[in-house]
Amino acid sequence: MIRFEKVTKTYPGPGAPALDGVTVDIEKGEFVFLVGASGSGKSTALRLVLRETRPTSGRVYVAGKEINRLAGWKVPRLRRQIGTVFQDFRLLQNKNVSENVAFALQVIGKSRSEIRQVVPETLELVGLSGKGDRLPDELSGGEQQRVAIARAFVNRPMILIADEPTGNLDPTSSVEVMKLLERINQTGTTVVMATHDSGVVDHMRKRVVELGGGRLLRDQVEGGYGAAG
Amino acid sequence: MQLRYIFTELRQGLRRNVSMHIAVVLTLFVSLTLVGLGTLLAQQADRATEQWGNQLQITVYLCRDGDENPACQSEVTDPQLDQVVTTVADNPEVSGYQLESKAEAFEKVKELYGEETFSGPNPLLTEEDMAQSVRITLQDPNEFAGVTSAVTGLDGVSQVQDLRDSVGPILDSIDVLTIAAWGTAALLVAAALLLVANTIRLAAFARRKEIGIMRLVGASTLYIALPFLMEALVTAVIGVGLAAGALASFLKFGITDGVAQDLTFIPWVGWSEWGVAVVVVAVLGPALTLLPTLLLTRKYIKV
Repeated sequence: MIRFEKVTKTYPGPGAPALDGVTVDIEKGEFVFLVGASGSGKSTALRLVLRETRPTSGRVYVAGKEINRLAGWKVPRLRRQIGTVFQDFRLLQNKNVSENVAFALQVIGKSRSEIRQVVPETLELVGLSGKGDRLPDELSGGEQQRVAIARAFVNRPMILIADEPTGNLDPTSSVEVMKLLERINQTGTTVVMATHDSGVVDHMRKRVVELGGGRLLRDQVEGGYGAAG
Repeated sequence: MQLRYIFTELRQGLRRNVSMHIAVVLTLFVSLTLVGLGTLLAQQADRATEQWGNQLQITVYLCRDGDENPACQSEVTDPQLDQVVTTVADNPEVSGYQLESKAEAFEKVKELYGEETFSGPNPLLTEEDMAQSVRITLQDPNEFAGVTSAVTGLDGVSQVQDLRDSVGPILDSIDVLTIAAWGTAALLVAAALLLVANTIRLAAFARRKEIGIMRLVGASTLYIALPFLMEALVTAVIGVGLAAGALASFLKFGITDGVAQDLTFIPWVGWSEWGVAVVVVAVLGPALTLLPTLLLTRKYIKV
């Protein structure tokens, strides 16, 4: 589903490459934690998957397409197959929960009838039935993150990218969010989650890919946050 | 594509940035009006040149008794007249010529200033004071130099007069006004472009979160840019409409009901020329807003 082949990414200016010869293969339906210190290259890896940037050398394949060769006008189509969740939720404050989720479908041209059907289903999936009319600031952090997950998943993407989704949440909310991501993963969606949350990684026992200084340090099935875990 | 979404965004965008949009509309209105005015004046100059150009004649005044030109010793002689006529007739730039006798010239003067001026015991002018002349029509009104230089200095020629000498200052004034209108318009167009650019920058900033989400969920660049383009189009259409109205008022009250009433000998521009000016403005207006919008949205909302 996602494949990095000797990927190096160097940003302009002095300094070591953000990614340095990384090779990773993530299969369809996997749940992978991407761990590493700040500046280890996690965000660059996620940006490459989203084709927000291109590798300096090496190849990145996402959903069978080499993103470096993907024409600019095909990028939106690629992104429709990828849902994205961030630490800061990125909800539109002037739209209610339903509208925030529907927004993701509206802007890719889905019909109103489809939106009317899919949005409540997705809100139910994330446990927010009955809260569709609430504005984001009327919700708890955990609920807001679930809205963001609903928005990322409403189009039933093949891949879900989560960048520190529990970073702003209390432990209880983090557990709820992780349960939700696991449920989404069980539907066949590949989940790649960058995190610093050792508790979550250690508890979930999923595949762990650790980066450090742009290099692949560890790729462990059912790993923990630390190498010893 | 959800048109409802586009129109909602358009409405919100216009409301959110209302002061900037008004500034753009006003700048566009003034600059487009000046461009239109320049177009009208250029057409005015063309019409005048064409009208006077078609009728343009070079008049070769021949010597007469007591001519002010010291080169004229006496009334033009027949051989001198033949020489002038042959020179004119042989010139390839001449399309036709006509001899005007003293009597004919006197009749024209009488027609122009009134019979009574020239009658009575002590008339201002008599037929004898008039000069014979050769009136030359040119193939091409702009090619007057060759003929003028061919006849100037011939024996029996007192003066060569080009109608352009009298019409020239009027045409020059129109040219100056045209250049002034276009020059000012160019400055204002630059101001309009900068304002449009600023408006888009502000709008893109105000909507950066939305745009970020749209990019991530796979909205196409066109879809993201469409509200911006619609906003640009709306401001352009209003600007063009106002400019067309201002030009119509100028034509109606300034020209048709104004100077055209007083200066009837000048062929003035009318509604067909206004139509041309409006077409120019209608093409330029949207181009001025849409092109920077397209360029800048590509920069700010690059997928």
